Amino acid sequence: VVATLKLATMAAAGGKPAVLLLRPVDAPFAAALRDRFRVLDLYAPGQALPALAFVAAAAAVPEPPRATVIWGGVRVDASFLDAAPSLRCVVSTAAGLDHIDLAECARRGVAVANSGEVYSTDVADYAVGLLLDVLRRVSASERYVRRGSWAAQGDYPLGSKLGGKRVGIIGLGNIGSRIAKRLEAFGCIIHYNSRKPKDSVSYKYFPNVHELAAESDVLVVACALNKATRHIVNKDVLEALGKDGVVVNIGRGANIDEAELVIALREGKIAGAGLDVFEHEPKVPAELFSMENVVLSRHVAVLTEESRSDLRAHTIGNLEAFFSGQPLLTPVHADSLAQ
Amino acid sequence: MESLGVLLLHPMNAYLEQELDSRFRLFRFWDSPPDGRAEFLRANSSAIRAVVGNAGYNADAALIDALPSLEIVASFSVGIDRVDLPKCRERGIRVTNTPDVLTDDVADLAVGLAIAALRKIPQADRYVRAGLWKAKGDYTLTTRFSGKRVAILGLGRIGLAIAKRAEAFGCSISYHSRSEKPFPNYKFFTNVVDLAANCDVLIVACSLNAETHHMVNRKVMDALGPDGVLINIGRGALVDEPELVSALLEKRLGAAGLDVFEHEPFAPEQLFSLDNVVLVPHVGSDTEETCKAMADLVLKNLEAHALNKPLLTPFSGKRVGIIGLGRIGLAIATRVEAFDCPVNYYQRTKKDCPSYTYYPSVVELAANSDILVVACPLNEQTRHIVNREVIEALVPKGLLINIGRGPHVDEPELVSALVEGRLGGAGLDVFEDEPNVPEALFALDNVVLVPHVGSGTHETRQAMADLVLGNLEAHVLKKPLLTPVV
Repeated sequence: VVATLKLATMAAAGGKPAVLLLRPVDAPFAAALRDRFRVLDLYAPGQALPALAFVAAAAAVPEPPRATVIWGGVRVDASFLDAAPSLRCVVSTAAGLDHIDLAECARRGVAVANSGEVYSTDVADYAVGLLLDVLRRVSASERYVRRGSWAAQGDYPLGSKLGGKRVGIIGLGNIGSRIAKRLEAFGCIIHYNSRKPKDSVSYKYFPNVHELAAESDVLVVACALNKATRHIVNKDVLEALGKDGVVVNIGRGANIDEAELVIALREGKIAGAGLDVFEHEPKVPAELFSMENVVLSRHVAVLTEESRSDLRAHTIGNLEAFFSGQPLLTPVHADSLAQ
Repeated sequence: MESLGVLLLHPMNAYLEQELDSRFRLFRFWDSPPDGRAEFLRANSSAIRAVVGNAGYNADAALIDALPSLEIVASFSVGIDRVDLPKCRERGIRVTNTPDVLTDDVADLAVGLAIAALRKIPQADRYVRAGLWKAKGDYTLTTRFSGKRVAILGLGRIGLAIAKRAEAFGCSISYHSRSEKPFPNYKFFTNVVDLAANCDVLIVACSLNAETHHMVNRKVMDALGPDGVLINIGRGALVDEPELVSALLEKRLGAAGLDVFEHEPFAPEQLFSLDNVVLVPHVGSDTEETCKAMADLVLKNLEAHALNKPLLTPFSGKRVGIIGLGRIGLAIATRVEAFDCPVNYYQRTKKDCPSYTYYPSVVELAANSDILVVACPLNEQTRHIVNREVIEALVPKGLLINIGRGPHVDEPELVSALVEGRLGGAGLDVFEDEPNVPEALFALDNVVLVPHVGSGTHETRQAMADLVLGNLEAHVLKKPLLTPVV
């Protein structure tokens, strides 16, 4: 019908390989893709088919797409792959990989590329910014100034010194290692947990997060979300971190048991938290709104103009590598849990 | 220890107040009503020998005049722009501050403010708390902090600590300072406008004084531009605040992160509605750990003063007066500057060195210096350039350093001044009749005597010898001499 005609038009832009685009992109990104590929765009103006139907329709055009560009909102599982058997390559622009069944892709010989290090710097910067904000009460004292309390009520209460703090990083991948490097310059002592110790670093390794928390003043969640890391920061870990401890989460909301975190904050079992992510975004536990020792952000750690343009270049790089038979820039393997 | 009477100007820190009360005789300035202050001071003026102030409340001329027994001002801050330093010098009042212990916290905050301003963290926090986050994917793009060109105004302790942190984010570092520093990786700019024009983030980290007042003016802000970010953790008055407000309102300046303001605790209300500023209430050193360290430093300085022991952190080095600002004189100046010593000088003609204070005569130089250094060549005019009059002018307790030639100084006059205790001390490398050194000096504890060893290192003597040989060879080969004396 109309929808199918639209798709046929998209598919007819001869010569270039077809790419199934399943996420909205800005104008520069769209132009860069169209320059190089036949783009079958789920978000094209006037395109009304829902996602899975669009995928199936795209699979039915002559010379169907062998590659797709997706984001975190697209679940790549068996039924998705069944709907588009022509797909041999999935390029995800998301930071995490929890939306992709890597084992299923591997079984079908579908290559997966992720966003590599495109976001790592900005997320690391944001993590440091959140930590400084919590310890030095930047947002809280900002509120104090803006409501005129500085003149009316005098000096704001003291914060806590960053230098010398033991920072326990959960996940020492692209993001975690950048956080470590930055915080070292502030005089922090770096501890970490990851699946295996890393020989190339001199930071102290802890085989589990509970022990990491027990010997850290700050816990930074910088790992991917998967079965092993769901609620990796739980009630025990928060207790081990202790009443002077601070949690920073720039991973996924579900890395932390949110209900227990709220209780720990309410009861003063930890000293504060800086959170960019939550278990049920955009819902944020309302109890946190009145807490002075918490900094709340709306899942924006990756969102800079620079990472946007880096992402565009990186995605196209992966697509071009695939279509020219070269190795992907940032392939993901089924056995890799993180990065 | 007999109780030192200490006037605390403001309830700045509970621990400090408590300790002052238990170790000394404490007077709380705010105990008296505002209109009764003069009376309060009159009533207690003979007892008050020390004042403890901070960034906002300190020993100005009026207070110093009202306290005839004042001996020391111990500031609970590193910046002492609100202490009347000339008046303190005039009265012989010692000043201490709290350097080093707060360097890290202030530098941490500077970087924290830069990230907060660029990545709009407080703005996100406000947004979420207001219940405005209704849809996933609701966001604004900000700009990356890592890799930005960071410029630092003032490369002192705090400026350097900021540079070290910014470097970990891959930022390039440039700076402006009174003089160039030995950091080849950091680009030096001779003026603030050029510095601002060539950076993305300008961080103000210098001390406030007459020269630096409103150093960040409209021209500088225009050079920083609509994408530029200004961070101020120094003093409010380093920035022209009304100009800053209009630059931000008119979007001529991209963003700002401010810890200090011209009229604390009042921050310009026109900025409260802006989303591209981060405003915090002078919290640079406000952590439990640092405030305690600062308080301990204040207490230790007061105790040292009371026991006649050396102060731990006297503000600014001694004033160094250099006779002759040639190659050696300038090299001395650069070294003492690193100790925060203000540099004065005399020579036949004034030099173009705005950071060094010129005096038209040696007597005036001596009168305004704590340490007098002879570094000029010896000739008819400079023989006995340090005579009795100059020695008398060198403040009692002043020091004379001679690395020039013995005959620069009237030696018998010097010896009697030292023996009679009129002069504070001397460091002498040269004497009028080498190798004979006046024996009267041997018994003195405040004199250092060395046997003309100024250039006496292997490396330098080798280089000197090579120069002599080079000159001789050049002469023989009829080539230009290497170092002819004009």
